[in-house]
Formats: sequence, structure tokens, C-alpha cells
Amino acid sequence: MKTSARLALCAAVSLALCAAAASLGSSLIGPGDTLRIIAHKLFGMGLAEGIDPKNVPIVWLLRLPRVLLAFIAGGCLSISGAVTQSVLQNPLASPHILGVSSGASLGAGIIIISGFSLPLFGSLTLPLAGFVFGLGAVFVIAAFSSAIDKALSNNTVILCGMVFSLFTGALLTTLSAVFSDDLKRIVLWQMGSFAMKGWLYVKLMLVFCIAGTAGILRHARELDIMSFGDEQAKSTGVEADKVRKRLLVFTAALTGAAVSLSGVIGFVDLIAPHAARNITGPGHRFLLPMAFLSGGSLLVLADLAARTVISPSELPVGAVTALIGAPFFAWLYFWRGRNGTSDAGN
Amino acid sequence: MLEIKNLYCGYGSKDVIREINLTVESGEILCVLGPNGSGKSTLFKAIGRLIEFRGSVRVDGRETAEFSRKELAKKIGLLGQHSPLYFPYTVYDTVAMGRYAYSRGPFSPLSPECRDIIEETLAVLELDGERGALAGEVSGGCLQRVFLARVLVQDPKIILLDEPTNHLDLKHQIRLLEHLKNWAAKVPGRAVIAVLHDLNLARAFARRAVLLSNGRLAACGQAEEVFADLADVYGMDVGRFMLESLENWKTGPSV
Repeated sequence: MKTSARLALCAAVSLALCAAAASLGSSLIGPGDTLRIIAHKLFGMGLAEGIDPKNVPIVWLLRLPRVLLAFIAGGCLSISGAVTQSVLQNPLASPHILGVSSGASLGAGIIIISGFSLPLFGSLTLPLAGFVFGLGAVFVIAAFSSAIDKALSNNTVILCGMVFSLFTGALLTTLSAVFSDDLKRIVLWQMGSFAMKGWLYVKLMLVFCIAGTAGILRHARELDIMSFGDEQAKSTGVEADKVRKRLLVFTAALTGAAVSLSGVIGFVDLIAPHAARNITGPGHRFLLPMAFLSGGSLLVLADLAARTVISPSELPVGAVTALIGAPFFAWLYFWRGRNGTSDAGN
Repeated sequence: MLEIKNLYCGYGSKDVIREINLTVESGEILCVLGPNGSGKSTLFKAIGRLIEFRGSVRVDGRETAEFSRKELAKKIGLLGQHSPLYFPYTVYDTVAMGRYAYSRGPFSPLSPECRDIIEETLAVLELDGERGALAGEVSGGCLQRVFLARVLVQDPKIILLDEPTNHLDLKHQIRLLEHLKNWAAKVPGRAVIAVLHDLNLARAFARRAVLLSNGRLAACGQAEEVFADLADVYGMDVGRFMLESLENWKTGPSV
């Protein structure tokens, strides 16, 4: 099958998955009814007979925004992961290495502890602080790395990122130990959740998603070349230093938005790009859209499991992601043959 | 066509190469000799503007610093020492990346002209049968040709080759150098600069040679004149061995 056909097929599957996830939950609403409710809301079509009116807000206000937020956030995290892996030429890299998550956690922690709220932003102060701190962390790491190493080599970036992440992590641990009353809220925030977020969060996420993804897709061709290393890229004609900085900013914005709007959800940014690479190959023109679909689908599935397995209680979606993701990853690598694996160069 | 004047460069505060003055003429194959660590790769990186340097490097009368990377890629192609392969690109895709400097947008397909030059290069380097293979899974010699193909499709004026015969069997070493010789002679304004450790190959393909020692130009001129200085740089014993084996090749060994 051609790569573009495979991509289209996966897009259809993802869409079906989203619809299915919106119809599943503690009260089962048939997929047909779910679609009719969505059509009713989106296009102003009359509500078909036989649909219980109390199901309308369940689908439209609770489930659909939740599913969409999970899908978009997962897609953004996964695209960020794919870009980080290629730019840093390290199949084990993820945006966490750039300090986004630890920075965002620290920002969120400070807001939770201080109870501070910006006048105009209200409850959005928390995600805003997460975003600002997450992005700030990336800039600090970039500035620090380039001060040590003018060429901004990958190892320097990775090392600085790890050191800085550990440092901010320790700051947050210290803070939460001192203010132990807020410990539970901080931990819950970090675990990540798509519950009760609503349409505002979806719209915010979508804005960052479109801007960031567009900025990254423009450099699909450069990403291919840069995954062979800086020297290759430069001598082939890529302004590698400039492009890398730009890509890191877009990546940080995507991850920062996803983390600050839904909490720290790991793993998807590491494994979803690998799953995507197995389907489309490493060329970024197809890989990036595929990574979006695979990351989005993985989080929709994980969130579905998180809210249904022990319903009415919920599992932390970050933990479910890893619980689903780790075996999937193992299967991908050990049982499904080893063609196209990342260690092809060794 | 390539003029290097008073070139200094290195890593951090230490200069690895110093006071290099060198001119390369159109159609020429220049051989660079020198022990490990003498600055050959650093010199190449400076010419390709991969690292910062002091002094002047001019291509066709213009400082390389004035070119955009894409413009420079159309002037200078560099085959470095092996680059890592972390992701499973096919041979064809890897070679096609060499056309980056000629691409328009991020999603524009390869132009017919690009496809022609890629096909031609794959055929010349005998990579036709490997086009669908993963670059990480072909043999070392084949991979070397893949990277060389990528430099050739870049269609530069000057090709810098850092130990291009590494990993190649004898047949491919000779094919490669013959191909480069024809490549340089085919269109005016082309030149090749190659690090070669094999004096036989150097003498057969390069008219001129330079000898680097501790980052300085120890000798520069006709290949055979430069060979005479090898002993000064490599040490008497090594120099004598190299020259004697060259002589023996001609006259037969005196067992």
C-alpha cells in the first residue's frame, strides 16, 4: 500500500476511534445517537426522535471535549517527540528532555501552593503558569547550553536538559514537602487528566496545535536531513542552527500547551513516534501527520480506559498510557519483526 | 577557483590548523596527505564553513561567509567521515536528500531534473539494485557509495572527500577515483580535494598534493615532490617504507 493510502486509512481509524470513545462511558449512548447529537450541535440539525435529551449534554459537554482534548494533546506530544528524536538524533529522546514538563510542573506547583490567581484569567492561571514555566525552562536550557557550547551540540543540550529537569524537580519536591497540604493537588495535577476540562481547553489546545504543527511541518524536509547530523545537514545546504532553534521553540510550545492543559503525560511522546515510523517510514512529510494520529489515538484509548475500567472512579491517564504503551512498545519491537527499527545504523 | 589565505581555525581557543595558504585550480584533483591529527578534517570543515575560522576562503572569487547555506551547497560538497544512521531511510531517499539545495517548498516533489541526476548517479555508483534497501543495512562499502552519491547529486563545483576510499574494496576504490577524475574533467570549474593515505592511488589520480603536519602546510606541489618530504613528517622509517614500496611496485620487490 502506498504511504499516503496508509496515512489516510489511519486517519479514518482515528476518527472512528474518537467517535467510539465519545459514545462509550458509564452510560452507553449508541454510536449512531452520538453522531446525531454531534451533528445536531455542529450543524444545527433537528434532534432526531428517540434520543434522550439528557444524553445531549453528556456527549456534547462532557465526552466530546474530553475525547478531542485527549486526541489533540496526544497528537501534539507525539509530534514533539518525533521532532525531538530527529533533531537530537536520538531515538530515545522525548520533549521531557528539554525540561518542558518539569518546568510546567514547577509553575503549576507554585500556583497551587500560593493560591494565586490572575484577575482576568481566573482558573486559567494554572495552565498559563504551567505554559510560561515550561517554555521558560526550555529557554533557560537553550541559553545555558549555548553558553557552554557555542555549537549547541546535542549532547550538551541533552545533558543540560537532564540537569535542569532534576533541579526543578527537586525544587518542586522541596516545595511540596514544605507545603504538604497541597501535596495531593500537585500530585493529581502531575498525573494528568482530561476530565472536566470543557470546550475552552479544547479551543486553547487547538490554537497551539495549529500554530506549532504548521511551524514544524514547514521543516519536514530539513528534519529528514538533520537526522543524519549537523555536519551533513549544513553541507547539504540546511541552515541547521537556525532551523533547530526554531523547531525547539515550536516543540516546546506544543508540549508546553499539552502539559499545562492536561498535566504531565509521559510515554506517548516517546513511543507514538516509533509506532508511526513503523507505518510510514522515517520521512517526516508522512511521519509527522502519522505521529499526530498515533499519539492522539493512544491517548484517546488511554483516557477511555482511565474513565471506564473502575468507573465511576478514574485512573490517572498518565499511568494508563504507560500501562497500555509499554506492552505495545514491546510487541512492536520484539514480536513484529525488526525491520525498520531505530538501531538500523549499528 | 578555490583560494585559501591565511586560514586559522580550531576548537575552543586552540588553533588546530594555522597559516594555511592554498589555491586549487579548475579541473584539478588535489591530494591531501598527513598523519592522523594533522588537521585534515578540520581544514575540510573550515572550507565547507562547518566550523568558524579566521582568514579567507574564496570560491569563484567570493568569500564563503557571504553565501547562504543553500548557495554554498551548490558550490562545495563534503563527504565527511561516517555519519550516524539512527532512522531507517532507504538508499534512494538518502541520496535524494542531496538535492535539498534545489528544492522549492517542503512538500514539492523532486523535479524531473533532480530525478535524472539521481538516477544517473545511482547507475554510475552501481547502487541501482540497492535503491530500496535501508541505508543502515547495506555493507560499509555500499554505504560509503551512498554518501558519495548524495554529494554528487548535490552537483557542487568542489568536492571535498575525507578518506573516500575507506571501507571500499580495491575495485570500488579505483572506480570511485576514476569517476571523480572524469567528473572533474567533464565540466570546467570543477575540482576535487581528497584525503588519501594510499600513495599509489594518490600518484595515479592527483597531479598535485599537499602535506599537512601539526596543522601547517609542510609541503605543497607536484605529488612526487611532496612525497619526497614524507619522511620529515611521518618519520624516517615510515617515509622510507612508503617510498620504497612505491619504487618496488614499479621495479618488482628485491626480496
